[in-house]
Amino acid sequence: MRGPDSAVRRNVESLPSPDLVVTAQYGRLRRLCRLLLGDAQEAEDVVQEVFLKAHEAAAVGRGPLDWGAWLTRVAVNACRDRRRAGGWMRLRLRSTHVEDVPLVADTPAPGDVAIGEDTRRRIWAAFRTLPRRQQEVFALRYIEERSTRDVAVTLGLSQGSVKRHLFRALRHLRHSLQDAR
Amino acid sequence: MTPCLSDDALTRIHADLGSIVERAHLAGCPACTARSRRIRRDLELITAVLRDTPEPIARHAPARGSRRWLPAAVALSAVAAVLLVRVEVAVWRAATPPPSMPPQEVAAILSDVSASLFSLSGDPTPATTVVEESPLSLEAMARDVDGTLTGAEP
Repeated sequence: MRGPDSAVRRNVESLPSPDLVVTAQYGRLRRLCRLLLGDAQEAEDVVQEVFLKAHEAAAVGRGPLDWGAWLTRVAVNACRDRRRAGGWMRLRLRSTHVEDVPLVADTPAPGDVAIGEDTRRRIWAAFRTLPRRQQEVFALRYIEERSTRDVAVTLGLSQGSVKRHLFRALRHLRHSLQDAR
Repeated sequence: MTPCLSDDALTRIHADLGSIVERAHLAGCPACTARSRRIRRDLELITAVLRDTPEPIARHAPARGSRRWLPAAVALSAVAAVLLVRVEVAVWRAATPPPSMPPQEVAAILSDVSASLFSLSGDPTPATTVVEESPLSLEAMARDVDGTLTGAEP
């Protein structure tokens, strides 16, 4: 039977080395998990967990042909599990670890000047109020720049459903910008 | 020529949900094309913020999930506290026995206790209250009457 997992093949010889995969995908996955979880430490944990699974898959000769798509799917599922199981953890006050607090610069970064603090805050706040599914779809489609089909396969949705989630997310996020104007 | 597209219709086109008619209108309408470009710029801005800027720090702000049940938790706590007080008062009332001694007797005992406590010589001072003789019972009265009639001493 062919399904989303049909990409997993037993051809270890053609795969890139695990080190190369980690180097190429680490930053991208960390950003994605951080976007979905809203917590840098949890995102770091999930990425470690994902690479451990990748290592195990490669060790038993079940490495996928497309590591990028495979890692993305595993990472999104791990974030979903983490959110589901982590209701307890979310009861605590959200705080920022010392190492995650950005250093205060005398002059604002060029990007920050162009965008504006208020706009930034509004966009982030609007993104956090999106339903989880819309966050996932938006992150994969626009931040990760995956195709609608890829997003649908990764999330186990139909393409029509992905487009509808995308439309709702985009409309909500744009409203936050219009409020700022 | 169809009327100009709404913002929602233009957003639908960006999400790849637009119909053929809407796309055809967009291709031939400069006004809608300009608005569509603005939507694209907004989308690029949103993407740039989410991809390239750190999430603003929300210090000591409870997570959304925890805030949602906070009013319910406060209301439940208040109801529980009121119930606890009411039950406590009811139990206290039920457990407290009603006073069984007459007030005069209680006053006499308290007076004795007070006299013992504040006596300078150490001996209890005599009680200042005079305990009235209890009225004779019917039997005693009958014996008195019998004694009077027979000349015997009571």
